[in-house]
Amino acid sequence: MSTAQQNVRLQNSKGVPFAVPRKKSVERAHVAKRLVTDKSLGLIVPVAGIALWELLSRVGVFPPNALPAPSVIAQTIFDLGKSGELWKHAGVTLWRITVGFLLGAAVGTLLGGLTGYVTIARKLLDPVLQSLRNIPSMAWVPLFLLWMGIQETSKIALIALGAFFPVYLNLSSGMSHVDPKLIEVGRVYRLSSLQMIRRVILPAALPEYIVGLRSGLGLAWMFVVAAEIMGASRGLGFLMIDGQMTGRASIILASVILFACLGKMTDRLLESVGHRLLRYKAQ
Amino acid sequence: MSNVDVRNSSLQVKGVSKAFGSNGSGLLALDDINLDIPPGEFTCVVGGSGCGKTTLLRIIAGLESGYSGTVLLGENQVVGPGQDRGLVFQEHRLLPWLTVQENVGFGISDLPFAERSERMQQYIDLVGLRGFEQSYPHQLSGGMAQRVAIARALVSHPQLLLLDEPFGALDALTRMRMQQELLRIWEAQRTTMILVTHDIDEAIYLADRIVIMSPRPGTIKRVFSVEMRRPRDRTGNQVAELRKSIYREFFTKEEVPEDYEI
Repeated sequence: MSTAQQNVRLQNSKGVPFAVPRKKSVERAHVAKRLVTDKSLGLIVPVAGIALWELLSRVGVFPPNALPAPSVIAQTIFDLGKSGELWKHAGVTLWRITVGFLLGAAVGTLLGGLTGYVTIARKLLDPVLQSLRNIPSMAWVPLFLLWMGIQETSKIALIALGAFFPVYLNLSSGMSHVDPKLIEVGRVYRLSSLQMIRRVILPAALPEYIVGLRSGLGLAWMFVVAAEIMGASRGLGFLMIDGQMTGRASIILASVILFACLGKMTDRLLESVGHRLLRYKAQ
Repeated sequence: MSNVDVRNSSLQVKGVSKAFGSNGSGLLALDDINLDIPPGEFTCVVGGSGCGKTTLLRIIAGLESGYSGTVLLGENQVVGPGQDRGLVFQEHRLLPWLTVQENVGFGISDLPFAERSERMQQYIDLVGLRGFEQSYPHQLSGGMAQRVAIARALVSHPQLLLLDEPFGALDALTRMRMQQELLRIWEAQRTTMILVTHDIDEAIYLADRIVIMSPRPGTIKRVFSVEMRRPRDRTGNQVAELRKSIYREFFTKEEVPEDYEI
């Protein structure tokens, strides 16, 4: 095969052994232009909305004690950052999320892996776990408080519970639904059970597992808000309640925005890890 | 690399029968199959769907259990999958998360790194995919993916390569090109090959021997030796003659007894 052919990049050419190289620079510019316009189109509504909100607040249409202007909220966040409050509360919340999520994901991975691979374990455990899943999450709160007190333990447990189910469900179903034809390839090459798991089943279940981790993280964020509202002396949820008690809407809204930003950040983190692991899917 | 030297063993299928259905009472998929394949021969097994040809191939591959009779490769009885037999499926069955190179090396992960890399490259070159080592399966065309599957099956130096309708899912032109490629690989490697197909022309183009199977129960109906020199002229007279006699095996008076079932 000539070097010229080596340099040709494949473009998923069905039936054609070697794809014709396309004019890349032109194409890339085209794609870039489209992306920019897509993004800027999506920005128009929120930017206009914020501008309108700011305007209406300044004119006095919105009462400042109920719906402060965006600039006031930004100022609040800035002040919180300057006084160190922001880092204290956000730090505590992030710590809870991290520990709770890791704990829930670890147990979910363990049980998901077990039920996904061992049929008898699935038959024993899955019905129980599936029915527990039907209990609305907030219904656990009184019990957790009773069992573990109002300190960190009950909060972490609640967050872990939130993260657990998506991780468990996705990994379990991912592992039990691996294409039998690929399992057979493993058999042809005489893989041991462990090799089969490592080299065929886990990589095949990885996309679903990552989906599970991401939705688990999403639920962990929901549960941390609940846990911190229930009773905490620190954390972004506490900040919200504090804002409510003291009648400062700007604090509540600042916390909401911080929750959104931190949630997005952690999700992006997982997304990029997933993207790296699943790069074989990218064109 | 001593396993290259022991490639010269023949395959013997002795009295193999297999029934599907509950406790063997069901349909006989294979009924007393006897086959003797000398080393280095290219055998094609031809038959319609349900004649048990794939089951026979899977038994030889060691993927089926619960059959009677024995399969011997050289001195060794086949009891499960083994490194002495390579298998190519109808679908390429490449692992989508591995590159072409990693897929080819899938079955030889126990080899030392340097030897493994060398072997992988050798077989990627053999199937004509140099330059595509780092591509992923979804980036390949059907024919290319099937080449990778052939390289994966050959890389561990099997004595026997089993191919289960390997080109059945390809378009007609790609299929013919792949048949040429397979012949070239066979001539270069001299691995014994058994290819299962329903395509009579494919069998005539490739095989030293054509085994015709008929269904219900799955039996060997007739064996043709093909003496023609390669490369064979697909449109030549000799091929046409042979095709005619094989067609006759499938579509003649033999079909009549079926009427009794009414």
